[in-house]
Amino acid sequence: MVETILSIVAFIAFLTAVIFGGAGVFGLFKFKNPYAKLQSGSLCGTTAVISILIGCLALAPTWAMAARIMIIGIFFLISSPTGTHIVARFAWVSGQLSAKEEDDADFDDVEDTQL
Amino acid sequence: MRATTLWSITRVAITFVVLFILWLLFTFSLDLFSLIAGLTGSLGISLITYKVFIPAHDASRNGFIPRPLFLFFFLAVLLYQLYSSSIKMLITIIKGNPNPKIVHFRTRIRSDLARMVLSNSITFTPGTITLDLNDDHLTVHWFFCNTNHSKLAGEIVKGQLEKHIQRVWV
Repeated sequence: MVETILSIVAFIAFLTAVIFGGAGVFGLFKFKNPYAKLQSGSLCGTTAVISILIGCLALAPTWAMAARIMIIGIFFLISSPTGTHIVARFAWVSGQLSAKEEDDADFDDVEDTQL
Repeated sequence: MRATTLWSITRVAITFVVLFILWLLFTFSLDLFSLIAGLTGSLGISLITYKVFIPAHDASRNGFIPRPLFLFFFLAVLLYQLYSSSIKMLITIIKGNPNPKIVHFRTRIRSDLARMVLSNSITFTPGTITLDLNDDHLTVHWFFCNTNHSKLAGEIVKGQLEKHIQRVWV
């Protein structure tokens, strides 16, 4: 009974990972702005991976394996946002604007040329 | 013994204990060779990295040692925020109507470690990326921006996270 429930939890977690991973990849190609691409990538990079870890935790055969998965999860909690932050910070320091600011800047350029 | 020397020894000891607990959890073995390897490795790494693990100025115990129960609640809230933001992000990707903007706001958190955890948590939840953390000032790229008011933006972006982090690291 317990094994069946855990298998269902794992199935839902893996299915969630596939959905969010697919959406993240779709967003990567859809958006043009680097920040927007990073935001989409975070769906694959965090939500999908955490879902897979939850699924693995549900299927863990021993407590030892569950403890290892938990530690991997904690390391992931720390390292994943750090990687995203480094890329985003480099873009920001380089003077990269957000998508909305880019659109506003393009609109101002068009107005200036018309004047 | 001088206070600074005692503080350095304490920092090495805390780093060593944390590393050794992680080693025990990873190996899940009480074999003599495994224990000796873990003790030696933990001691060596803690002697090299204790200055990074616990900064010298972080002399308050509550500044870096989390309260376990509140930490558990915080992780539960973080997991909830992760999935709620992901669903919002998923809908935005499909509909294609984002309103991305760079917002600036302050945090009430005092501890350096807690501030780092807050900025990491903000980046961890899809839809928000911390671009810069300078003292108590955060610069965040927010994908679903719906306000021009920086304080209100801060309250929305931080959500429940700041309140829970304040309980974990006082």
